[in-house]
Amino acid sequence: MNNFFKKIVQFILKWFAKVYLWRIKPHIIVIAGTTGRHWIKEAVKEALEEKNFLVRVNKKNFNAEIGLPLSILDLASGEGSFWRWLDILWQAVKKAFRSKPPVLKEFLVLEMAIDHPDNMNYLLSIVKPQTVILTTITMIYQENFENLDEIANEYQKLIKVLSWNGLVILNFDDERIKNLTKFSNNKIITYGFKEGADFWVKEVKKLIDGQELKLQINYSKNKEIRSLKINRFGNHHIYAALAKEVIKESFKISAPDFFRQIRG
Amino acid sequence: MFLRTKNIKLSPIKQMELLAAKIPDVVSLAQGIPSFDTPDVVKKAAIKALNRGVVAKYSLTYGLPELRETIEQKLAESEMYYDFEKEIIATAGSIEAITASLISIINSKKDEVILFSPSYASYCEAIKVAAGRPIFVNLIEADGWRIDFKNLARRINNRTAAIIICNPNNPTGTIFPKEDLLKIAELAWKRKIFIICDEVYKNFIYDNEVTFFSLAQIPQLRKIVIRVFSLSKIYAMTGWRIGFLHSDEENVSEIVKVHDSLVTCSPVISQYAAISALDFADKEIEEFRQKYQERRDLICRHLDDLPEFFSYQKPQGAYFIFPKIIQYKEVRPPMEVEPPKIKSASWRFAIDLLKKARVAVVPGLAFGPSGEGHIRMSFGRSEKDINEAMRRIKEYFNE
Repeated sequence: MNNFFKKIVQFILKWFAKVYLWRIKPHIIVIAGTTGRHWIKEAVKEALEEKNFLVRVNKKNFNAEIGLPLSILDLASGEGSFWRWLDILWQAVKKAFRSKPPVLKEFLVLEMAIDHPDNMNYLLSIVKPQTVILTTITMIYQENFENLDEIANEYQKLIKVLSWNGLVILNFDDERIKNLTKFSNNKIITYGFKEGADFWVKEVKKLIDGQELKLQINYSKNKEIRSLKINRFGNHHIYAALAKEVIKESFKISAPDFFRQIRG
Repeated sequence: MFLRTKNIKLSPIKQMELLAAKIPDVVSLAQGIPSFDTPDVVKKAAIKALNRGVVAKYSLTYGLPELRETIEQKLAESEMYYDFEKEIIATAGSIEAITASLISIINSKKDEVILFSPSYASYCEAIKVAAGRPIFVNLIEADGWRIDFKNLARRINNRTAAIIICNPNNPTGTIFPKEDLLKIAELAWKRKIFIICDEVYKNFIYDNEVTFFSLAQIPQLRKIVIRVFSLSKIYAMTGWRIGFLHSDEENVSEIVKVHDSLVTCSPVISQYAAISALDFADKEIEEFRQKYQERRDLICRHLDDLPEFFSYQKPQGAYFIFPKIIQYKEVRPPMEVEPPKIKSASWRFAIDLLKKARVAVVPGLAFGPSGEGHIRMSFGRSEKDINEAMRRIKEYFNE
């Protein structure tokens, strides 16, 4: 796809995605950060599905200028084929104007990737999230940013677009992410290994087939201790498990939705 | 001088290629190079990374975190759970992964490494590079090239450091069944021996009823299993020199020291290409697999035309066939090309075939003692090459 055609496709997809979001009004959860987004996204999906919500997540690496609107519209990529892209644009029209809102509330869980200072503005011109989950800001994906604080400034924008009832879920172990709390008037829930996090990992034990963690929830009025076992290795899976617990605590199916589901 | 390297040989596969290069108009079925080019989606990712100016510097020794995250995701699809931060290393192909693993495992008290015969020719030299001693355990041809467990049990002793398994096996195309792999694991577990699983052909499986199993899927074995994978064959990326290994953190933290001293990091441009390959080239792998299956059937049909000269077992995976030479004509000196010093029957046959038919194959002895009397032919080459090579071989025998 040449650059000119790419720009046109990008522009059209952006507007169809906006129309779709305006008509269907899903609850949008955006996951951003330099690492661990994929695992958190999967964990959030699992948590919401366990609660019987309708959930859609963006496909593998569909998280930037063209991928994000494709994810919103639930369409595949046309890759290098001009004709396939034409077909996709036609499908985008149908999705944008003919999709009917689902009977139950739909959650759209989107990973958002930025590799350039302008990226966030563009992505936010398509999507306005209701919930934001921020993972980490590390040097590994620095790419076109001057420094890590510049990346933090981009994430600040993400928090600032939240409406009054939006929810911010932050990694308490990352100082730059933690500092973003001061830019938000929304409800904030933190997670991490450091004492003081709302969802605090007190203990981790590596097992032969995974990890066992003791989790203290300081978020509710009564402190609660939970034990979790995951069959994965690495701290990024612990963060994902924490995010899953936060989501399970934060979203409960409404009574009308519950009965609609029972009635089928 | 050169005490350490004097017993290390250039791979016989490369030797055959060098000999073949001296003869005009040779058709080579020797080296296991895919006939396909790297998928476009991979090349584009490499070009994009190059233009973004992110490939000129070293990556972390373990490799780009983006790549390792992608590898972790890919492994999880096959129920292999490894931490990308501490348990995965991007390597310069699989042979670097194997060599680095061997160097970290082998010591003066444990210096023997068991490898199956026949199996990939370069294992033997990699073991020697790591100052180890290769110990061959024969695969039983009559039993579909399966493992001789009695022999394996006899060969394991206090000096055994590791067992190398190539699955699907190069050169026989055998896929070892789960029960056999678990038997190896049981033996290794009891004696605290590492198992290096080289699974670079695992996506090229041609029989629907065969299920591929990896010991790396068993979490309880993660401390003794080092799994090695390369993108060379599966994604037609032999020249990019990119692969990876994964194991328990305890093992990987040692192997990474060797990896660091050998190569610092795998080529960064190839790492970016690998991300794209793992993420977006599934369709191409399936196309390659289908093509190889057609070519396997094609080469088998040709061999069926020569029943008095060859017998063979149809490979279940990889892209090699390993026919047994039933009868052949002796070499007629003088040769125009200098034959290697090893004078085995399979070498003589391979040289004779190269000289008279202008077809390069690899002598079976290159893959271990029980490979003698066989040749390895690659059907990774194009249909045109396979047809031409087989036409010449038929002519050679009918002379």
